[in-house]
Amino acid sequence: MATDKELSDFLKSVEKRAWKRAVYAVRDDDAALDIVQDTMIRLSEKYADRPAAELPLLFQRILSNATMDWFRRQKVKNQVVRNFSEYEGAGDDGDFDILETLEALGGPLQSESAAESVSRAQILQTIEAEVALLPARQREAFLLRYWEELDVAETAASMGCSEGSVKTHCSRAVHALAKALKAKGITT
Amino acid sequence: MKHDDRSYRAAAREASEARFARSVAACLSESAERVSPDVAERLRFGREKALELARRARGDAQGLGVTASGAAIAGFSQSRWWLRFASVLPLVALVGGLVLIQNWQNRTQISVAAEIDEALLGDDLPLNAYRDPGFSEFLKAPPNE
Repeated sequence: MATDKELSDFLKSVEKRAWKRAVYAVRDDDAALDIVQDTMIRLSEKYADRPAAELPLLFQRILSNATMDWFRRQKVKNQVVRNFSEYEGAGDDGDFDILETLEALGGPLQSESAAESVSRAQILQTIEAEVALLPARQREAFLLRYWEELDVAETAASMGCSEGSVKTHCSRAVHALAKALKAKGITT
Repeated sequence: MKHDDRSYRAAAREASEARFARSVAACLSESAERVSPDVAERLRFGREKALELARRARGDAQGLGVTASGAAIAGFSQSRWWLRFASVLPLVALVGGLVLIQNWQNRTQISVAAEIDEALLGDDLPLNAYRDPGFSEFLKAPPNE
């Protein structure tokens, strides 16, 4: 059973990322805060007796469900499905060079003068905007796999799909992001 | 040879995708740390509320454990079903008692009425009754009316 401190530390470590994830999904800061609070409460009420090691996966699953509940309540599920289908076919990028964009993210962004700091803030904002524009399933797979650092099996369990689907969603998300960031001028 | 080359390229592609994805994730983490104080405060409030509920949930579970172990000492079942049944039992006893009291009162009233009728029927007819005009009419009337 997770102690109070373990549960508190865990929630503290995930709450901001969870809020951002909810914001990317619902595009409403207040609604995202409600979703995260609801997730924390559901986790604490129902799974407070679980070991600390099980909390991350449970939290991600509850967060996904809470986000879906929000969409159901808002009755905009059709809109989400439409967005999903619009982006679904955009995964095949041919010979697009992902490394070119990768170097941009790892290179000039590390400098910290005032002007570059502003520039960096703008770039971070652009990246967030592009992540938010990803189709829902691609974004969820990408964030769970690379931001929450779940492995492929855990991501699949959390999303309720196969491991192959996770890999496909992740790959498409990476290529869509790289292409979009390159188009926004974030290149070497 | 061709197969090896293809799998090598696939692995290299996966590795570059993972590197790119982790770079993006690092940027997202940096961005997430820059949330406004208002949002941070609301998240803190939500977290504390959740922790309070967790403490309460654990407390309830422990309380239930104590009750159940007490019942086990007394030789009763530990199941929740039994506890639910036990909580309904006093209500069932109350309703049963009320029905029994009602039944007993009905029987008492019937018994008292029977005793009065028996006393009236067994008693001698007073003399004044024979002089009553109604009694004379009763005697004149045919027996089948």
